[in-house]
Amino acid sequence: MTPINKDAVLVSRQPLGGPYVLLTLRHAEVARASRAGQFVMIKAGTSAEPPLRRPFSILTVDPAAETFRLFLKTIGAGTRALAALAPGDLAQCLGPLGKPFTAPPPGREALLVAGGYGIAPFHLFCEELLRAGGRARVFYGGRTAADLQVREPFAAMGVPLVPTTDDGSLGHHGRVTEAVEQYLDAKTGPVALYACGPDAMLHAVARLAARRSLPAQVSLDPWMGCGVGTCLGCVVWTQSAAEPRAHYRCACTEGPVFDAREVVWPGEDGAR
Amino acid sequence: MTEAIAAAPRLAVEVGGLRLKNPLIAASGTFGYGVEYAGILDLSSLGGLVSKGLYLAPRDGCATPRIVETPSGLLNAIGLQGVGVRAFVEKVLPALSAYDTAVLVNVCGDTVEEYAEVTRIVDQAEGVAGVEINISCPNVKKGGMAFGGDPRMTSEVVSAVRKATRLPVIPKLSPNVADIAVFARASEEAGADAVSCINTVLGLVVDVEARRPRLAFGTGGLSGPAIRPIAVRMAWQAARAVKIPVIGIGGIACATDALEFLIAGCRAVQIGTANFVDPGVYDRVRDGLADYLRRHGLDDINRVVGTLRYPGLPVAEELGG
Ligand SMILES: Cc1cc2nc3c(=O)[nH]c(=O)nc-3n(C[C@H](O)[C@H](O)[C@H](O)COP(=O)(O)OP(=O)(O)OC[C@H]3O[C@@H](n4cnc5c(N)ncnc54)[C@H](O)[C@@H]3O)c2cc1C
Ligand SMILES: Cc1cc2nc3c(=O)[nH]c(=O)nc-3n(C[C@H](O)[C@H](O)[C@H](O)COP(=O)(O)O)c2cc1C
Ligand code: FES
Repeated sequence: MTPINKDAVLVSRQPLGGPYVLLTLRHAEVARASRAGQFVMIKAGTSAEPPLRRPFSILTVDPAAETFRLFLKTIGAGTRALAALAPGDLAQCLGPLGKPFTAPPPGREALLVAGGYGIAPFHLFCEELLRAGGRARVFYGGRTAADLQVREPFAAMGVPLVPTTDDGSLGHHGRVTEAVEQYLDAKTGPVALYACGPDAMLHAVARLAARRSLPAQVSLDPWMGCGVGTCLGCVVWTQSAAEPRAHYRCACTEGPVFDAREVVWPGEDGAR
Repeated sequence: MTEAIAAAPRLAVEVGGLRLKNPLIAASGTFGYGVEYAGILDLSSLGGLVSKGLYLAPRDGCATPRIVETPSGLLNAIGLQGVGVRAFVEKVLPALSAYDTAVLVNVCGDTVEEYAEVTRIVDQAEGVAGVEINISCPNVKKGGMAFGGDPRMTSEVVSAVRKATRLPVIPKLSPNVADIAVFARASEEAGADAVSCINTVLGLVVDVEARRPRLAFGTGGLSGPAIRPIAVRMAWQAARAVKIPVIGIGGIACATDALEFLIAGCRAVQIGTANFVDPGVYDRVRDGLADYLRRHGLDDINRVVGTLRYPGLPVAEELGG
């Protein structure tokens, strides 16, 4: 559907540990039409600073209540202003934007690999997969246990979740991709990989997928100025069988979800 | 009859042969090819829109990162990534014909000949209202600002484009010059119908941890409210220097901002970076202009154009309306 630009009303705000917060906002069209992997461009109020809206994945939707939720990590001025909204406050909001994840063919287990706030799109994705009779498993990595804030919803859906932390404070001690490798080594059935998180993690998942000839979709996280394909700030260097000449594609309109094989990663042959 | 229900003030303007239903135009490079915003706002509510800069061939543009936010602004080095003029004419123009708005094409070139060739293709196409000549992009190695930084080159490009079309020809001037009046005059003498002022202001943002520029290209062009006072000053200088109309550009985000340019002498304005911040900006600015006119007992936007009371200078007496 066409994205709708309007003020969203903050319905509630739930601080989680540390820099994390859950926001519930009212925006009927986003609540009705969003698919997993899509995002909104949003800005708190109308203050001049910071100038631009920020992109955030849609965590969950409640079409009946006309609300959706965001899972935010506050890191700079834009996220701080959003995290400071009080119920009743307005946020300029455009969405839903971007291309969603594509479900795996029937019978393939979806392995969802998340780093930090990259967990956000996988809540909705699990709901979609389960509704369609599919199976999912989440690998959720962070620096420390406090970074793994969104775990219960997956338990409630009956989706297995494998936590990993760099400091060993929760789950596997090490990188999230190591936990994925361990699972794959022990497993025989067909899988498809999905990843959202820091670039280095996405690249590691892409390499892993290439090595094991697995299909993989990655949700990229470039700096976005507009969300609708006009600023050309968010572009990703890509190459595909259909278009062998490497070229830029907008992450906001042709992504943020890309087939991992089509992304030309920095440092690879042909990278710019 | 109370004032509140008096007839709506007239917002239509005429700029160098372009008839616009209101003085608000979407600026090049901040509105894609127009169609991207088709479902998000009513394109027919715009006075006009300018396409992203177009060369003969498609272009990849600069490496990333291409944009970085600055205080009240945005520094960009996109490098004129684009589909090329033929793809625009074949694929985009037909879609834009559904809307009642003036479509201008931002014409680019590495050489004078390329500017002329792109213009000839645009001239032959259906549905183009005018040509804006981009001689002011700071983010390309050839062409761009090289033409807009030398009055003789400006004159050469404008003459070549002039000969290639009967459409209104509007050079877009660079702020990265000592005296913009010189370039406005060179444009007028070379046959321009109007001038657009200004393109982005050359800037540099340094990542102090890496001790590198934040943009892959190095320097970039600054836009947004941060540049508005510079833009208003330059548009005012250009308007005083030439008889052809001036289109004001730079940091417009609300009606007051647009009025600054109009009062300083601009016949129309373009909105750039504010499109990213709020695609609903046109409705707000249009309503704000009408409110202003009502408050000042004016029935026509042309009556504010060039009414700046600048200390020591005479106020323009012949007002458009
Ligand atoms: C499609 C998409 C979905 C996203 N979903 C979520 C989400 O669900 N939850 C969430 O918390 N965040 C999400 N993000 C990231 C979020 O948009 C950024 O964290 C936010 O823009 C930072 O804004 P700020 O003003 O707080 O920080 P700034 O002051 O702008 O930036 C602080 C630091 O973060 C860097 N930075 C800024 N923007 C980004 C970015 N997009 N990616 C990586 N680094 C950045 C800056 O370079 C700077 O070093 C998403 C990004 C994209 C592109
Ligand atoms: C991301 C971006 C891309 C731009 N691309 C072009 C372009 O292709 N051609 C052009 O003439 N100007 C281009 N500009 C300049 C704008 O049209 C405008 O002159 C400038 O941004 C100042 O206006 P603003 O402050 O309202 O944005 C671009 C500006 C931005 C921010
Ligand atoms: S965010 Fe502007 S083009 Fe993608």
